[in-house]
Amino acid sequence: MGKILSIASKEIKTAFKDKAFLAVALLFLLLSILSVYIGSATKNAEITAYQDIVNLLKSQGATSIPAEPKIFPLSILKNIINYVAVIGSIVAIFLGFNSFSEEREEGTIKLLLSRPIYRDQLINGKLFGGAFVIAGLLIITLVFNCFLFTVVSGMNINFAEFSRLTVFFVFAFYYMISFYLASLFVSLKSQNSTFAFLLMLIIWMGVSYVIPQLAESQKNYVYVLNNISQTMNQMPQDTLISKTIEIFSPTVQFKNIGRDLLQVVPEHAQLSLFTLLKLNLRSIIYLLVPGLFMLFGSYNSFLKEGN
Amino acid sequence: MLVINSLTKNYDGFTAVDNLSFKVGEGEIFGFLGHNRAGKTTTISMLVSLIRPSSGSAEIAGYDVVKDNLKVRSMLGYLPENVNLYSNLTAFENLYFFGSLSGVENVEKRINEVLKDLEMNSWKDTKVREFSKGMRQRIGIAQALLHKPRILFLDEPTSGLDPQGTKSIRDLLLYINNKWNTTIFLNTHLLSEVKKICSSIGIISHGQLLMTDSLINIKKKFGSEKSLEDIYFRIEGDQNNGENTVYSI
Repeated sequence: MGKILSIASKEIKTAFKDKAFLAVALLFLLLSILSVYIGSATKNAEITAYQDIVNLLKSQGATSIPAEPKIFPLSILKNIINYVAVIGSIVAIFLGFNSFSEEREEGTIKLLLSRPIYRDQLINGKLFGGAFVIAGLLIITLVFNCFLFTVVSGMNINFAEFSRLTVFFVFAFYYMISFYLASLFVSLKSQNSTFAFLLMLIIWMGVSYVIPQLAESQKNYVYVLNNISQTMNQMPQDTLISKTIEIFSPTVQFKNIGRDLLQVVPEHAQLSLFTLLKLNLRSIIYLLVPGLFMLFGSYNSFLKEGN
Repeated sequence: MLVINSLTKNYDGFTAVDNLSFKVGEGEIFGFLGHNRAGKTTTISMLVSLIRPSSGSAEIAGYDVVKDNLKVRSMLGYLPENVNLYSNLTAFENLYFFGSLSGVENVEKRINEVLKDLEMNSWKDTKVREFSKGMRQRIGIAQALLHKPRILFLDEPTSGLDPQGTKSIRDLLLYINNKWNTTIFLNTHLLSEVKKICSSIGIISHGQLLMTDSLINIKKKFGSEKSLEDIYFRIEGDQNNGENTVYSI
């Protein structure tokens, strides 16, 4: 365990000395803070607008007052879903793309492997280091968000909402780790850090934009078909094809789970955490699989190299 | 200290190292001589357990490099060719990391000892990227010495260094060998280097060992008037002419 921790601690030290990584991590932090501020300000504006309307109606002698809009506190944080999905994955890529390829380029991999350590200890150390950095970043984000949320919106979250928020951050962690693992795998397979980075960018674009857009275009296609054939109520908008396409995008799965956890979907906003997780079981599985696949791939590839 | 027996490495039909057998005694500085792509680095990679031999075996202090690879790696120091270390970290941070991986007790104290020996103490808090190539090599050697290895494997340690840097590394190797009686296995293609510091040599060409002996015996065998350079080219020439003579005692 001592050697794994030594490798992990070196990874953490190197990450915090890497200016490119620091810049992206800082961007992630700033955007997440901004998202709380914007979310809170929007909700406050909605409440003020409602109060103005109520006052106006009352001054005109109206007896029927529209119901107060239901505000789900966590929905204020909804923008963070996109920031984790886009910038969070980039942070993970920056952290992992050169973890092995740079060791090869600089020749340090030979120094590492000539030490009395097992190959899997090296992967575990790197994984621990990356996980620690990602977890640290998310914990800072969570603490900042909770603090800002209370200060800016003036609202408090109850235990159930805090549990949802914590579980959201657990999924955010896993989502980012999946990208880290993918970068680790690509880095293991390539001799060159630039190539590894470019390949990861292509994968990131495919997973975060191309696949979701393909699925979306499929939905639109069916929507147009339904309109023409007047079968709006007979054919579901979400077709089997678009759902199948979405399986290949952890970003879509993460966003689905995130929207439910952060009370963005009003129908699911008051469900218990357990029910919510059960409801999202399929998305959770689709989110878990790529990361596990990459983890297995990295072990397999690196251990085979030693033979 | 080092016993190599029919060591062979094949890569998809290409034989990089072919049936190598020789011994290196304790406290020797052994020069492993050969032109580029002769099979020197592949040999060293097998000896430090980076790659597995296709056949044959090698033992370091009685331990097999494949079966007892962890034990073997704990008693050897290794400096590959053109290693840059972690350029974002300081010399101390680099050494601390490698020392911890080697299981060195009281790493900090040991780093200070080694850096003092290598006259690099005042540079320990400087980032490695600010070092010259020669200084980097010294830190590279320092990392290889941290766990007091019994044998040191160095792959072209003076490659790319200026004459001053080359001399300084050469002096350092002699110092290490004298002070701790560390066996040194030196991969090189520089005859001048071998002549100045090695007690015995092996010559490899196209993966085959052409000769292995002490420098004194070689001089005796080929006539003391001949330079090492002449001897080297004669042996290489014999192989190129199809005479696969293996010169050894």
